[in-house]
Amino acid sequence: MDIFLQQLVNGLTLGAVYALIALGYTMVYGIIQLINFAHGEIFAAGGYIGVITLAYLNHIGVLEQYPMLGLVLAFAMAMVYCAFLAVAIERVAYRPLRGASRLALLLSALGMSIFVSNGMMLAQGVYDKAYPIYMFPQESIEVGGAIISHMQIYIFIVAILLMVGLNFFINHTRLGKAMRATAQDKTVSALLGINANRTITITFVVGAMLAAAAGVMVGMYYGSVRFDMGFVPGIKAFAAAVLGGIGNLYGAMIGGMIIGMVEVFAAGYLASEYKDVFAFVILIAVLYFRPTGIMGEQVDDTRV
Amino acid sequence: MRKVIICALVTLALTVGTAGAATLKIGSVSPLAGPYAADGTDIKQGVETAIAMWEAKGGIPGYDKIEYFPQDSGCDGKQAVSAANKLVNLGVIGVVGAYCSSATIPSSDVLMENKVVMLTPASTNETVTERGYKYMFRVCGRDDDQAKVVVKFLTEDLKKTKIAIIDDKTSYTAGLANNIIKFGEGKIDVVAHEHINQGDKDFSGVLTKIKALKPDVLYMSLYNPEGNLMAIQAKRLKIDAVLLSEDAVYHPNYIKIARDASEGTFFTFGQPADETIPEVAAFLKEYTAKYGEPGSYSAYAFDAANALLAAVAKVGASDPDKLADAIRATDAQGASKKLTFNEKGDSGSTYKVIVVKDGKFVPYWDPDTGMKY
Repeated sequence: MDIFLQQLVNGLTLGAVYALIALGYTMVYGIIQLINFAHGEIFAAGGYIGVITLAYLNHIGVLEQYPMLGLVLAFAMAMVYCAFLAVAIERVAYRPLRGASRLALLLSALGMSIFVSNGMMLAQGVYDKAYPIYMFPQESIEVGGAIISHMQIYIFIVAILLMVGLNFFINHTRLGKAMRATAQDKTVSALLGINANRTITITFVVGAMLAAAAGVMVGMYYGSVRFDMGFVPGIKAFAAAVLGGIGNLYGAMIGGMIIGMVEVFAAGYLASEYKDVFAFVILIAVLYFRPTGIMGEQVDDTRV
Repeated sequence: MRKVIICALVTLALTVGTAGAATLKIGSVSPLAGPYAADGTDIKQGVETAIAMWEAKGGIPGYDKIEYFPQDSGCDGKQAVSAANKLVNLGVIGVVGAYCSSATIPSSDVLMENKVVMLTPASTNETVTERGYKYMFRVCGRDDDQAKVVVKFLTEDLKKTKIAIIDDKTSYTAGLANNIIKFGEGKIDVVAHEHINQGDKDFSGVLTKIKALKPDVLYMSLYNPEGNLMAIQAKRLKIDAVLLSEDAVYHPNYIKIARDASEGTFFTFGQPADETIPEVAAFLKEYTAKYGEPGSYSAYAFDAANALLAAVAKVGASDPDKLADAIRATDAQGASKKLTFNEKGDSGSTYKVIVVKDGKFVPYWDPDTGMKY
C-alpha cells in the first residue's frame, strides 16, 4: 500500500508538469491549428533562465537570506523571458506563414525547435547546469509510508494555481473572451473588432509563461537543466494534449495527469524500460475509441 | 590570350603549392551534441591538446600540418557509422573514438574495412577488441575486468551482497550489468535487474519499486546525466542502499549536480594518474589552461591521439599495416596510464574503487592488494 501511495505521489508530480506544458500545445493548436513543436524548447529556456537568475542571486548573496524571494524572482524572470521568446518565434517563424498550408507551418515549427535547442547548446554549453537546490528546504513528510518532499507539494500547488488562474483568464476576462472568439472563427471575430494577430500573440505568451514555470519547477525538482531537456517532455506533453482532446484546456490537464500516472505505474509495476510504450499505448487505445480525445466533444464551445 | 596564360600560371602555382605541403589528417568520433556531449567534448579537447603539443614541438616529421576532423556520433550506432564513412572519404589515417560502445562497434566495421586505425578512449565493452581486428585499439579498460572488480569489492571489502542493478540497455551498460551477474553468480544476490531509457529524467517509479526490495547496494550501470539525477532521486526517496557506479557516471559533474546525494557513492574507474609524473603534469597544464578541469576521458583521448601521432612520426602514414604495428609496439608513459598494447589491441585495465568524500573523488580500495588507501 505504501508503495502504491508513493507511486501515486510520483505520478501526480510528473503529471502536473506534463499538464502545464500540454496547456501551451493545446492553446496554440486551438487558435491557429498549429502544433508548436518549439514549445518544448521554450520550457527548456525557462529552466535555463531560472538557473541563471538563481545563480546570480546566489553570487550576490541574496539567495541565502531570502530563498523564497529568489524563487519568485526566478519564476518571474523565466516567465517574462519566455514570453518574449515565444513572441519572437511567432513573429519570425509563424506569422509570415499565416496564409500558407498547415504543412509549411508545421515544418517551420520543427525547424524552430531544432534552432532554439541548438542555440541554447551554443550559448549555454553541453554540460548540465546544476540548480542551487541545496539552498532550499529539502525536507519531506511521510504519509502512510509514502515520502512526499516539500518540492513535490510546491510543484503540485503551483501547477494547480496556474491552471486555475488560466481558467479564470480564459473564461472571465475580455482577453480570454477574445481568444475564444478567435479560436471559433477568425473572420467573424475580426469583423466584430477583435485584433486576430494580437490575440494570437497573447495566446503564445500565456502558453510560454506556463511552460517557463514548468521549466523552473523541473529544474528545481530534478536538480539540473540541459539544453535538450525540452524534447522528450515536449513529445509527452503533446501526447497528453492529444489524449485529452487537442484544443481543449481541461483535456490537456487530464491528459497530462494520465500520461504521468501511466508512466510511473508502468515503471513501478511492469517494466520500467517500457514505460513510454505504455504511455503511448494508452494514447493509441483512447484515440481508437474516441478519435477526438477524452474531452474532444466539447471542442466547439470551450476550446481556446 | 594573356588571361589564359595567367589562369594557367595561377593553376600551376596552386598545384605546386599543394603538392609540396603534406597534411596529416586525423579524425575523432564522439558525442558533440545531445545528452552525452559532455564526455564527447572532453574527448575532442583531449585530442586537440595532443595535436597542440605535437605542433608546439615542431609537428610530425614529413608533414607540414595536422588537420583534425572531429565528428559527432551522439551515442548512436547509425550516426557513428555515417561519421566514420565521412572520415574515410576525407582520407583520415586514424580515428580516436567512439565514446559509447554501441557507437564504437558498428563504426569500427567501416574503419576496419578501409584499413583506418581506430583507438577508442572510452568504450569498455569486451566485443570492441574481441573481433580480431588488426587496426582496433583500446586505451581504457575492459568491462569484464571492471565487473570482476565490482564483485570483488562487494564481497571482500563492502561485504554487502544484496544488490539491485539498473542499466539503460546499451551495449556498455547492459554488458557490464550482465558481466556482474555472471561473475557474481553464487557470490552476490541480485534482487532486481531493472532497465531505464537513455534520456529519462524521472526514475521515481523504478526507484520506488527497488526501495521495496530493500537492497544493500544500488548499482547504477548508466551514463552520466542519468546517474546524476538518479542519485538525487534515490536520496529523496530515502533509499538507504550504498550507491555504486562505474566509469561512465564518474565525472566532476556528478558531484556538482548531485551534491550531498553524491556523498559516499563508490565508483570503479581506471586508477587516477599520479600528478607528479612529468607527462601527466604536462598534460594537465596544457589542458587546464585551455579548457579548464579535464573530464573523465580527456586524458584517455589525449593518450589515444598521442599513440597515433607518435606511430606516424615513427613509420609514416602511407602503410596502415606498418602504422598498426607501430601503435601495437607503443611503450610510453601517458597522461592516463603507462601505455602498452597486447595482441588484441587492449591496453589493460587499472580499475580501482573510488569514493566521493567531502565533495571530492578520493581513492578508496585497491582490488589487486585488497587494501584501503
